Amino acid sequence: MAYRVLIVDDSPAMRTFVRRVIAMSGFEMSDCFEAANGLEALEVLRTEWVDAILTDINMPGMDGQEFLRRVSQDELLRSIPAIVISTDATAHRIESMTSLGARGYVTKPFLPETLRDELERTLGVPCG
Amino acid sequence: MDENALRLALRKSVDEVLEKMFFAETLGEAPETGEVPPAEELSVELFFEGEPPGAMCLRLTVAAAHEIAADFLGVDAGSISDTQVSEVVCELANMVCGSVLSRAESAATFHLGVPRLIHPGVARENAFSNVSYCVQLSLGRLAVNIVTGTTICPRSVPSAY
Repeated sequence: MAYRVLIVDDSPAMRTFVRRVIAMSGFEMSDCFEAANGLEALEVLRTEWVDAILTDINMPGMDGQEFLRRVSQDELLRSIPAIVISTDATAHRIESMTSLGARGYVTKPFLPETLRDELERTLGVPCG
Repeated sequence: MDENALRLALRKSVDEVLEKMFFAETLGEAPETGEVPPAEELSVELFFEGEPPGAMCLRLTVAAAHEIAADFLGVDAGSISDTQVSEVVCELANMVCGSVLSRAESAATFHLGVPRLIHPGVARENAFSNVSYCVQLSLGRLAVNIVTGTTICPRSVPSAY
């Protein structure tokens, strides 16, 4: 099975990198959507169903915290697993994002297989 | 903050970020000289709030910047635009600073400002001078300086954006 993924990050370079390492990691992705902040991501989610969301925290417009809050309040969207990708590896931040509904957390820098493993864990993809 | 702990965190962070995210290997520590003409370097400044607050300056020779940007984006170095190079260098600064602070900050959390490209050759007040690390890459040099424990006004810093 191939998955549809939404990447939310204000850095075009980072979005390109994440899309690239997902492909490098061997994770099966059929479609990839991109958004520069939470507002753009919610617009994408109005018209496109995705299997997983990868989101940054610090973004102009609507940051990752507010975006996750909105997703968790939406009856349809709350079932989509969201993974935070951030440089902030402090326990306080990880707990904070988890309490807002994040089901995974990947800290930068990361290896391609780390992102793949987190995607597969949150999606419940069987090992092997 | 203890300077030795910060220096160790900076070294680990730079090496790890380059290896994992840019697939780049460092060729050892380089001497910290001011010999590189400003026009041949890209400089990014990034301010952070936390315990303590501070700022980071990352300088990268233009050739090395193109090399790591191409590696990061998975494109040929000859086809990459200046805008793409700038975006990647800012992302590099963001990752290095976040990694250092995650290792070294004593507060429960911290907040990173937006990395800003600095015009070459602009003299700055509050020049960075605390802890630094400089490494040789195959096509140039990367230097990172971090100053902590002082209040620096980001609005006084000119931005290339």
